[in-house]
Amino acid sequence: MSAWGARELTVTYGDTVALSSVSVDVREGEVLAVVGGDGAGKTTLLRALAGAVPASAGAVDAPSLSSIGFMPTAAGVWRDLSVDQNIDFVASAQGVTGATLAERREQLLADTGLEGATKRLAGQLSGGMRQKLAFALAMIHRPPMLILDEPSTGVDPVSRVDLWRMISQAAVDGAAIIMATTYLDEAERASRVLVLDGGEVLLAGTPADVMANVPGHVADAVGTPDRARSWRRGSQFKTWSPDEPTDGAARADDLEDAVIAATLAKETSNA
Amino acid sequence: MPEPLISARGVTRRFGDFTAVDDVSLEVAPGEIVGLLGANGAGKTTLIRMILGLLIPTEGDLSLFGEAPSRETRARLGYVSQGLGLWDDLTVTENLAFVDGAFGSAATPVPDSLRDAGDSLVVGIGLGGQRQLAFAAALGHKPELLVLDEPTSGVDPLARARLWDTVRDQADAGVGALVTTHYMQEAERCDRLMLMSRGVAVAQGTVADIVGDTTATEVRTPHWQQAFTALNDANILVALAGTHVRAVDATEDEVRAALIEAGVTADLVPMQATLDEAMVARERATV
Amino acid sequence: MKAMIQKEFRELRRDKRTMAMLIALPILLLVIFGYAANFTIDDISTRVVGPGSEQVTAQLPDLFEVDADAAAADDDADGDTQTALDLVRDNKADVVIDTTTTPPTAYLDGSSLFSAQTAKGALAQMPDGAVTIDVLYNPDLTTAWVMVPALIGLILTFIGTIITSIGLVRERQNGTLEQLAVMPLKPSDVIVGKIAPYFILAALDMIIVTLLGVWIFDVPFNGNVALFGVGGAIFLFVVLGLGVLISTASQTQAQAIQVAMMILLPQILLSGFIFPLSAMPAAISWIGYILPLTYWVNISQGILLRGADLASLWPSFAVLAVMAVVIFTAAVLRFRRDLAPSSRRKSQKSSKAGK
Repeated sequence: MSAWGARELTVTYGDTVALSSVSVDVREGEVLAVVGGDGAGKTTLLRALAGAVPASAGAVDAPSLSSIGFMPTAAGVWRDLSVDQNIDFVASAQGVTGATLAERREQLLADTGLEGATKRLAGQLSGGMRQKLAFALAMIHRPPMLILDEPSTGVDPVSRVDLWRMISQAAVDGAAIIMATTYLDEAERASRVLVLDGGEVLLAGTPADVMANVPGHVADAVGTPDRARSWRRGSQFKTWSPDEPTDGAARADDLEDAVIAATLAKETSNA
Repeated sequence: MPEPLISARGVTRRFGDFTAVDDVSLEVAPGEIVGLLGANGAGKTTLIRMILGLLIPTEGDLSLFGEAPSRETRARLGYVSQGLGLWDDLTVTENLAFVDGAFGSAATPVPDSLRDAGDSLVVGIGLGGQRQLAFAAALGHKPELLVLDEPTSGVDPLARARLWDTVRDQADAGVGALVTTHYMQEAERCDRLMLMSRGVAVAQGTVADIVGDTTATEVRTPHWQQAFTALNDANILVALAGTHVRAVDATEDEVRAALIEAGVTADLVPMQATLDEAMVARERATV
Repeated sequence: MKAMIQKEFRELRRDKRTMAMLIALPILLLVIFGYAANFTIDDISTRVVGPGSEQVTAQLPDLFEVDADAAAADDDADGDTQTALDLVRDNKADVVIDTTTTPPTAYLDGSSLFSAQTAKGALAQMPDGAVTIDVLYNPDLTTAWVMVPALIGLILTFIGTIITSIGLVRERQNGTLEQLAVMPLKPSDVIVGKIAPYFILAALDMIIVTLLGVWIFDVPFNGNVALFGVGGAIFLFVVLGLGVLISTASQTQAQAIQVAMMILLPQILLSGFIFPLSAMPAAISWIGYILPLTYWVNISQGILLRGADLASLWPSFAVLAVMAVVIFTAAVLRFRRDLAPSSRRKSQKSSKAGK
């Protein structure tokens, strides 16, 4: 099976390099989480995969637009339309009709918990509900590939778990999913993670791989910590060291420590 | 015990027939970081607006530093809003100068990380820089209480860790903080949490208190797709973690029964539920 | 494509502002251009002063509408040349005929451009030597002289409503209004601090446009500068108040611009400086009489061109002053509500406790 994805993809806007030689596979039945701060290049990568941004160098491998479900940041529903009208519009645009539409409408409403609110304007739904609706609309034509740009940002934890269940279900049903997220706990549950920083790949692989590939290691701080290389988890300091860990010790306890360590390592090597 | 910075007793706020905050009690002591969690619309923002003095409670008693919220209490409070509340068309130094003027505080220094960007417009310094500036602006007048509304959303993990270092340093110096967040890692950095749902404070305490006896079972099987579908169909709260399936708030027997029903064999590993899983379990229980 | 069209209609139906524009704008334009946009003057307000006024009145073409009641009240028959000139200056009539001279002199008010042009044409038709024509205040009937005083008001309206409301809504849109509200600033400090710069900028603009008008278009400044300044300040409070009101009712800058345009457009068309209000049917012209710009045009043209004083302009000053107080107060109260919680809640609470 040949995976979709990007090969050595570089995207520039004028003089700004938004993505620099990024390679990534998006595989069927898997959720790939793209992590990074504002300006890391997450949206550019997703838009390039959807064919909305041309590659300056390298290549993008993705199915045709009709086989992609795209969910943009903080949008994807029409606020002045009711839930039903949103479904009608997107279904009609994607050519979903008749018995198929009836069945998918029913499932969508059940998944999102919107059965009793079909006449409600999308703009009046809570943020979490709206994002769940947007996700369900993005996949109403059951595309083999789903591109989701921060579907869960700003969504409360409760709706987020629900949204994650829906995304999981889509992956279980065979879709290839790439989603940007700022929540590392969410990324930790993805099949694979791509950590971007300033348009470059900082770390990539399964969550376990990512934690194992951290340069140096992270340990609880002893004594007075070097604040430049330390940060707090709760009231306890953690410190990153470029040295190899002692035999058998983990390089990082979780994805958050791993990403912070890799960012510090990059800063150190750039300095 | 020192006098609490925030003391809310039975605070209720109604808008017409709608009760946004319902009989909520909360205290924040000096040196303490309290996290406020809950869905959008759970009443967090209304509660914060009352604490800031922008809304007056319909019922209940709310005091800041032992007195009713007023212009005087605002001068002792630092607030970072979700939207950051910076003036985009002003430079970094102009923003700080305005805030210093409003609070009558001494010149707040530009944060180290923005030292070269003092004359840049706020629009041009990126979200990470803007968050640091908003923190500096909120801390410039040496407030005794910090109110932070989703203070770190959108920044990378290192920048988030740095902002939290700032919050914790302030707490060590005796400042109290009330923080709303959707990040579970942030919630875990708080000393105490309050969980709100539909205007009601449904739980208060440490992470361990809130997770309580909520259980999670990790289902390990090569047939994880079937396992996921089977548990979901059995109306068990289910989530995917890589290629493992997590069943939340269900007994091992319930999980096993659902899997046997679907003919899936799997190893079941009991685990502690995560904070967000516990929150969903509570939410489902209240419906 | 059908789905796309249907979606658009459904969304439009719920976008009340756009719907209002779609419906109100065509009706407004149709009514104004169909009924109100009329350069043809059918009646010219006329007074005849001096002995023999009745004979002269009888000889005038029908176009000239002599107000017999006012003539009787003011004893026009006993008047002299000075009486005639005062009547023109005080805008009591567009044409005043002085019969104390031979032949009688018709003084035309050049600041009422269309009336003066029409009157000039009609009087020229009379037999040679029947009347001497003297156009006052705008002898060459230059359009710019009439337009510039009105344009000053239009520019102030533009700054006051659009620029001010955009500036205020930006604060709301960016969430910095909330930030201001939680700072230990008095609401009055915030309101004054927020509005004063626009007041100063608009005042500067007013001075610049007036000076340019005088220098480039040779518009005369015959009246009292201080009176002009006071009138400008009152008018500014009205339009700034409108701007603040718009901002309190708008969530985004686009909304604010939409509303401001709907307020600006009728002022351009119905304040009487393009199409004379006197030539409009009463069903339309009443709109003109509730617009602040109408009164400003009256004051501005009066002071600049006719050298009118407060004795004749006070009704316009009074109307603008009332508008300023009502609109500005409403605006400040609404703005204040965004900055500080209403104490009404407190009293409700205590009354509840008393039960």
